[in-house]
Amino acid sequence: MQELLNQEKSIYLQIKEMIERDILRDILLEEERVPSTNELAKLYAINPATAAKGVNLLVDEGILYKKRGIGMFVAAGAKEAIRKKRREHFFEDYVKAMLAEAANLGISKEELIEMIAWNQGGKENE
Amino acid sequence: MSEKILQCRGIVKEYRKQEVLHNIDLTLEQGKIYGLIGRNGAGKTTLLSILSAQNPATSGDVLLNGEKVWENSRALEEIFFSREISPNAVGDSSGLRVKDYLEMAEAYLPKWDKNMAEELVELFHLDKKKKTLKLSKGMLSMLSIVLALASKAEFTFMDEPVSGLDVVAREQFYRLLLEEFTESGRTFVISTHIIEEAADLFEEVIFLHEGRILLKENTQELLEHSIYVSGRAEEVDEAVKGKEIHHQEILGRSKSVMVRLKEGETLNQTQGITLQPMNLQKVFVSLCAGEEE
Repeated sequence: MQELLNQEKSIYLQIKEMIERDILRDILLEEERVPSTNELAKLYAINPATAAKGVNLLVDEGILYKKRGIGMFVAAGAKEAIRKKRREHFFEDYVKAMLAEAANLGISKEELIEMIAWNQGGKENE
Repeated sequence: MSEKILQCRGIVKEYRKQEVLHNIDLTLEQGKIYGLIGRNGAGKTTLLSILSAQNPATSGDVLLNGEKVWENSRALEEIFFSREISPNAVGDSSGLRVKDYLEMAEAYLPKWDKNMAEELVELFHLDKKKKTLKLSKGMLSMLSIVLALASKAEFTFMDEPVSGLDVVAREQFYRLLLEEFTESGRTFVISTHIIEEAADLFEEVIFLHEGRILLKENTQELLEHSIYVSGRAEEVDEAVKGKEIHHQEILGRSKSVMVRLKEGETLNQTQGITLQPMNLQKVFVSLCAGEEE
């Protein structure tokens, strides 16, 4: 929840992804209250409406839920849901960009596979 | 409490036959922080002074919930414009002290929060006995911030509140502003030249350029719809065909352009071009450059 905001994408998306990361890292636990939009606004010096936009996206996805009069909570199963969603987007978000850059540089598919295998091998040897 | 709306319609302002504001229509809704962005001389201070009835418009009306605010003390209780304090201004040649300003504010502002003012004076280490003539630019800004926040006016306007403040004091101000905003839901209009620092504070931005409103939009939507496209000139042209474009620049075979997408429009990423998000400052510069071409 304390990461720095950058200018590479919309602030509310960064707020959303930061909450997701905190859930993945067990900084925020399921069935636990998340900071309110006003708390987020003050922490990051951003407009509360912007913070709310990020939080509401997570409500729409069922990652967070609202307890009336108390605040926002992490839903049961949120961690697994985020992992599942990120796995589904992994090709689009990471692999596609890598393939495009590989094509620009003339790196073949075989070379790419070799790199991945080599990296994994390196880790095993550590 | 019902939602209040401050509106101006057809505001024109002339100074010595020269028109500085041209037919301004603007609606401010309660409970938002607005950023007022414009170059020097764009008319920001004049507009704020007219909206707060400190300065008469040559023509046009300012209305709070449909009621004219000019000489309307009930409406004016809700509106306060904390001007930049310049001790050389007429009427201040006798050398007013910080505490004189605070006492005047207490006398004139019906919702004045004395405790808050005292706390802020302490927080900023303002010496109440000091003459404003002896204050630095930053100290004057702090005094102006104290007046604005403690005024508790529903519509509070601040003109360059951070000018002359060091970076730590600026960040302190942004947090104070958000604290007050989240607690009170008051409406703030803040003009600034340090756009990037404050961009995320503003729910909406108003770009004022040469006495006209160039744009008033939700900040996040404006940024999402503003895309910087660069690459080989022909491919850039192909990608942005039919779109609203601004600020084209050509260097050899390469070209860059700002695209402002309309609701529902998208740009196609192709191999030969780069699409990048823009920050508010870049968007403002690109739009102004377009106007001046």
